Amino acid sequence: MVPTPRAAVRADRLRTLNVPELVAVELGADGRPAAVRRSAGQSVSDSTVEAILENWRIDDEWWRQPIARRYYEVMLNGGAHVVLFEDLAAGGWFVQKP
Amino acid sequence: MTQTPHLTSESAACCWIPLFALRCETTRRPELAALPVALVGPDDTRRVWQVAPLARRVGVKPGMTVSQAIGLCPALKLCEPDPVHYDEQFSQLVAALGQVSPVVEPAELGRAYVGTDGLEGLYGAPEKIVEAIVCGALHTPHSALRIGWGKGKFVSWVAATRAKPGAAVIVPVGGEAKFLASQPLAVLPLDPDTHRRLLQLGVKTLGALVALPEEAVVSQFGRAGRQLWRLAAGLLAEPVVGLVVPEPIVAALTFFTPVGERDLLAHALDKLIDRALADPRRSGWRVQVVRVHAELEHGASWLMEATLKDPSATRERIAAPLKTQLERSPPAGAVERFVVEFTAFAPGTTELQLFARDAAAAARTGRRRALQSAAREIALRIRRPMLYHIIEVQPWSRLPERRYALIDFEP
Repeated sequence: MVPTPRAAVRADRLRTLNVPELVAVELGADGRPAAVRRSAGQSVSDSTVEAILENWRIDDEWWRQPIARRYYEVMLNGGAHVVLFEDLAAGGWFVQKP
Repeated sequence: MTQTPHLTSESAACCWIPLFALRCETTRRPELAALPVALVGPDDTRRVWQVAPLARRVGVKPGMTVSQAIGLCPALKLCEPDPVHYDEQFSQLVAALGQVSPVVEPAELGRAYVGTDGLEGLYGAPEKIVEAIVCGALHTPHSALRIGWGKGKFVSWVAATRAKPGAAVIVPVGGEAKFLASQPLAVLPLDPDTHRRLLQLGVKTLGALVALPEEAVVSQFGRAGRQLWRLAAGLLAEPVVGLVVPEPIVAALTFFTPVGERDLLAHALDKLIDRALADPRRSGWRVQVVRVHAELEHGASWLMEATLKDPSATRERIAAPLKTQLERSPPAGAVERFVVEFTAFAPGTTELQLFARDAAAAARTGRRRALQSAAREIALRIRRPMLYHIIEVQPWSRLPERRYALIDFEP
C-alpha cells in the first residue's frame, strides 16, 4: 500500500477566531455609544445607535495583564444587532461577535 | 465453500509499537521527530490523544484539553489524526507478521500477537523466531518494534512492555511466575477501583498478589479476582487466535445468448462484483486479487486477473483495472458464461479500522477520506492552505476571542 501523501502545511499553527475589530464610536451625553463608524472594508459603515439592548462588564486576568471591558449590545439604525466593547484598560472601542 | 478454521497458538510473540499513530506521523513527516508533537483525539478534537516524549517532559499528558496542553507547552505542535493512514500502516505490519506465522491476532493499533506454536521446526529456538519476526517487520517503516515472547498473550504482552525499542524479552516456558512476580500491578487488566483497592491492601506487584491466597482474592474481588490472580501467577495462558481468511468468493452469470458487446460485458462485470461484494463472508475484508474468466462460444476460454495495489471493498475501484484490461484485450469470441472470483483479501474495515469498529465510525472514516480528497483538490487549485478546522481552545472563556481557534486542515 502506498501511504497517503500529505502536504507539509502548518497543522500546528493556531489562528485566533473572532478577533475584536477596532471601530470609532461616538458617545452620547450619558457616555454610552450613540454612533458607530467603521472604516472601509468592514461590513457596516456609519450607523447611529437606535437602542442599547444590554450592557455588561468583564474583568479578567487581573493576575497578569488585566483585562477590563464594558460590552454593549446595541441595535443600529438599520436594525442590525452589534456587540461593542470599550477596552477600559488600554482604551479604544471594538466590535466583536458575542 | 468453507472458511478456514480458527488457528490458535499457546506460545505467543507480542509485537508492540507504543504511540503507533504518532510514529506514523513522524515517519511520514520526519521534521516532526525533533519537535514536541501531540495528536489531537480522533473522536474528540478538544483533547490531545498521543503525546511525544518531548512534550511529555514539560507535562503534557494524553487526555488533556488542547488549551491545557498549549498552556504547558506553547511550542507544542498539534497534528490532526489520520486514522485511515494509521490503519493502512498497521495492516502492512500485520501482513508482514503474517509472512512469519499464519496465526496473527491484531489487538489494537500498534499491538499484534503472533502465534509461534510449531515455528520451532522452521526457525528454531524462540530467539530465532523473534529474529524472523524482526526481519519481517523490517520491511515495514516501523523498526522500533518491541517484542515479548512467552506462553500466552498476557505473559508476552508484559514481556513486550519490558523490551527496549528494537529488542525482545523472552520468557522461558516454566519461568512465567518468576518473571511476572516483579512486575507492577498496572500490567494487569484492572479497573481503576480494583487497582485502588489492591494498592490500599499494600499489593504493588504481581508477586505480592500471588502471595495472597487465591480464595482470599476471589472473596474480595469475585470472578475477576480469580482471573487476575491466575494471570499474575502465570497460570492462565490465553492463546493467540488467528484471523479467519475467507475462501475465494465466486459470482457467475450464464448468458441466455452469447454476448460479444464490451458494454454489456462491462455491465455484467459490475453486477457480478456487486454480488460477490455482498457475500457475507467478504464482510470485514477488502479484495486484493480479483480474477475474471469467461467461457466462450465453441469451448474457448478467456481469463484476466488484477491485483489491487490498494485493496478495496468498493465496486468502482475493483472494476477499474478489469475494465481497462477488457478494453485492451477483449475476449476473442462471444461470452457464454462470465465468472468473477475474489481470490485474495486484505484485512478490511471491521478487522483493522480500529477507530471504526462500528458502522457509524466507519461511515465517519469514509466521509473523512472524501473530505481529504476534496481538500487536496482545493489545495492543488489554490496552491495555499485555505481550509481550516475549528477547535475549541477555552470554550468557557469570558473573552470571545479565546474560545475557538482555527487550525490548518491538512489532507
